[in-house]
Amino acid sequence: MTSLSKKKLNKAGVFIGFTLPAFLAILLSVELPFLMSILYSFTKWNGLDKVPVFIGFANYIEALTDDPAMLKALWFTITLTFFTVIITNVLALLLAVILDSDIAGKNFLRAAFYVPNIISLIIIGYIWRFIYGNAFDSFFAATGLPVFMLSWLGDTHLVLFSVVIVSVWHSLGFYLVVYIAGLQTVPKDLIEASMIDGANPFARFFKITLPIIMPSVTVAVFHSLSNGLKAFDVIFSLTSGGPGSATTTIALDIYRTAFVINRFGYGTAKSVILFLLILVLTFFQVRMFKQMEVEV
Amino acid sequence: MKKALLVLSVMLLLVPPLFSNGAKETSTTKPVTLDVMFYSPELSEQYDDMVSAYFKETGVKLEITVLQTDYRSVLTSRINTGDVPDVFMSSAYADNSTYKDYVYDLTNESFISQIEPSALQGVTVNGRVLGYPFLVQSHSFIYNKKVFKDAGITVLPKTLKEFEDVAKKLQAKGIQPFATGFKEFWVLPQTAWQALAPSIGNYGGYEKFVASLNDGSLKFKDIKEMSQVFDLLDLIKAYGGPKPNESDFNDQTSSLATGKVGIIHQGNWAEDTIRKTNPEVEIGFLVGPAGQNAAAAGIMFDSNQTIRIAKDGKNLSAALDWLKWLTTSEYGKNWIPTKIKQMSPIKGAGAPDSQIAVETVGQLGAGVPGYPWFYQMWPTGTEQQLGSILQGYCAGQTNRAQTLDALDAAYSKIAKALQ
Amino acid sequence: MKKRTPASLALTAVTALIAILYLYPLFLVIINSFKTFSEITSNVISLPSSLNLSNFVKAFAIMQYPRYFLNTFIATSIGVVGVVTLSSLAGFKLSRTKTRYSWVVFMVMIAPMMIPFHSFMIALVKIAKSLSLTGSPIGLGVLYWGLGTPLALFLYHGFVKSVPQELDDCALIDGASPIRAFAQVIFPLLQPVTVSVIVINAMWMWNDFLLPLLVLSGSKKALTLQLATYNFFGMYKIDWNFAMAGVLLTLAPAILLYLSLQKHIIKGMTAGAVKT
Repeated sequence: MTSLSKKKLNKAGVFIGFTLPAFLAILLSVELPFLMSILYSFTKWNGLDKVPVFIGFANYIEALTDDPAMLKALWFTITLTFFTVIITNVLALLLAVILDSDIAGKNFLRAAFYVPNIISLIIIGYIWRFIYGNAFDSFFAATGLPVFMLSWLGDTHLVLFSVVIVSVWHSLGFYLVVYIAGLQTVPKDLIEASMIDGANPFARFFKITLPIIMPSVTVAVFHSLSNGLKAFDVIFSLTSGGPGSATTTIALDIYRTAFVINRFGYGTAKSVILFLLILVLTFFQVRMFKQMEVEV
Repeated sequence: MKKALLVLSVMLLLVPPLFSNGAKETSTTKPVTLDVMFYSPELSEQYDDMVSAYFKETGVKLEITVLQTDYRSVLTSRINTGDVPDVFMSSAYADNSTYKDYVYDLTNESFISQIEPSALQGVTVNGRVLGYPFLVQSHSFIYNKKVFKDAGITVLPKTLKEFEDVAKKLQAKGIQPFATGFKEFWVLPQTAWQALAPSIGNYGGYEKFVASLNDGSLKFKDIKEMSQVFDLLDLIKAYGGPKPNESDFNDQTSSLATGKVGIIHQGNWAEDTIRKTNPEVEIGFLVGPAGQNAAAAGIMFDSNQTIRIAKDGKNLSAALDWLKWLTTSEYGKNWIPTKIKQMSPIKGAGAPDSQIAVETVGQLGAGVPGYPWFYQMWPTGTEQQLGSILQGYCAGQTNRAQTLDALDAAYSKIAKALQ
Repeated sequence: MKKRTPASLALTAVTALIAILYLYPLFLVIINSFKTFSEITSNVISLPSSLNLSNFVKAFAIMQYPRYFLNTFIATSIGVVGVVTLSSLAGFKLSRTKTRYSWVVFMVMIAPMMIPFHSFMIALVKIAKSLSLTGSPIGLGVLYWGLGTPLALFLYHGFVKSVPQELDDCALIDGASPIRAFAQVIFPLLQPVTVSVIVINAMWMWNDFLLPLLVLSGSKKALTLQLATYNFFGMYKIDWNFAMAGVLLTLAPAILLYLSLQKHIIKGMTAGAVKT
């Protein structure tokens, strides 16, 4: 009996020994500061004055009932995320299938698609600003194609796609790796068997490959979804949220509320709302995708 | 017990000299390093030049961190963590209250008397001088003289109608009249609010105007002169080339320098960059139109960029010595006109030889109205937030009525920070 | 070498073409890094008139490359080593302990992936300051531990399931302490996912901007390459020629790291992604 409880205790000790360091690190760098910030969300504070003023839920009420600019930013963020998640994942999966097949120069091609992922998003924003501007002008001068004369960053509708293109360009390589990894778990004999059965490549992909790599899809979509909803860097340097408010994401709106108009407490309240939104959306996404894994 | 007492007394004996020693070291022998946070990275070389000159003369080092877009968030986080820089920059006017808990009151410093009184307006609150005006700047329309001459334009435009005629003439010659700069969050408000400047008098003057906007008794939609703003923006957009919403500072300066466009809305700080593309270019300053009233058309002239001294900094006296040096020494007085090539707020400082600065001084001397940058009196952050709403108007996102509503909504959100 | 069908050759050609198009923006950065400023503004897409290295030389000097390279390297290495250590230990134990309690701990530890950084950064800097972690690349590296661990933990947690449980028991029977058993037997088996974790975190820390800016900007000696590059992008002017060279100088070490580890990355993701 004593030895058993000792063993139990020992086991708990080992559990704590293995997990506590990581837990403390996360507590220190993320959870504690986030909890502190939540406290600020109940205050009126400009981020500078020595004493914040407690105002209860007023910031939350203002955000939810009296902030059309935030709702607009929220809607844009959801639209942007919708497009980037779908386009990134479909393209990455398609390319992964090609790059997992028997073609020459695989490693070089994989590296080629991965390289943009190595550059920081802020810098990527600047590079593409340069491309949509100076480079497109030169392209137009050289080719006369009207597509280069469109105002990619100045047209309020087109700019959504300009941002999507850049986001996809940047992140495709990462998801490509995730999907290639997934494809390598598909047993070769299963594929060969279906080839003998004469199933066409599309049927083979949807009936056999996709179900097997569904866990990769779950992870990739989860990752792109939560990154999309937090989108900030690329917008910051590419469009600064403009023209007008056309590409202002919720993260940029929060940043401006806290640091440009100095309503730090209010900005924090909005960020708590964003956190809850991401939590709920990703929760349902993962649950939905997990069910698909089971059904097929 | 005895032993403990002995140890304690020895410690007490040892500690004070240790402390005074340390204190002495920092004040006399150990060289002081001032912790400085500035913006405007385009002036980095000039900052460095000043730093080495000051070090040569006094042995005091300045360690300057130069930032741009993230300047405010970094400053906020440093102030928050108690790591306030000895010297930092901010805007004038509204920022007097933003950093009120942290800045040193310069009113009684001897060197303040060496500053032009007009430059002190933006940093003075209830008679107290809370900041040191760094540069005097002007913004309005800059034109390429050769382009105007080739198009046969001899009379410079003053009213909206005249600007439109000039634009038509330029276009007829195959020259794009304007490069808009609409992509920059700061160019649009500078362009737009200049058109409103002459009308502020109709609302009881600057202070009353700003106070009524702050307490909500005045709304943008009630300001009938806003139509002048929209008319001007419409004109610039209509004659601003195929991608008016994508023109940025680089585009403006290089297009003007090469003669691709005739007019841009910019400030005297742009001259350096313009000359980098074309050192020979002849440029001049135009007044900004306010509707059809030629006499009211003027230029925006003010000192906005402000140097602040931290009041609780351990290097306070060293920071004040540096400011004094900047105001009174031979190098300091010439730094802004000859190295930065802009206008200095110091009395009797030399004039820069740059064309726009010369024209600014000449025009003001000839009686052209010079308006303060009144939009800096609005609460912190208004410039950018309202700027992006005006950008939305230019991009066709909102019509005039919607834009006015959006301006009012955004303004009241920002003003809430003041209450 | 297997003989390839014409169809597969065509596919190769098409994919290669797409890849070239894909890399074209970077190609533009490269060619413009050799041009003068006025050459860039007059024609962006033309090839440089000469392979002039002066932009690189100047950018190298302005950025104080050697010093800031070292800072970035220190922060990144400390960060990566910490993240790998903490998350492999915790990921392994949490994955092996199949209790409700363990699941809750796991959830609490991966939830931070969903918290937007801007919402807590000021408080983070406040905490960092009180622990004297600001102003040095070492402190920055330590702050990365908690920021990088959630995702890494998530990957390890999934991967561990592909490692047979009998192995831990064998190691323990030998009488080794649990940590030793883990280090000697289990950790080497996690190598594929470790490589992925290293690459993901190294790339992010190398490229990170906002946290170094907030934590290091008060002390000039401690800056990172990313911050130095960013200084080329001013409000009134962007020195495109230096900026392009600076971007490439900052990017080069990251590309080298990626290429040297490329082969292993996919293996790590394989089991990591699948078994979550």
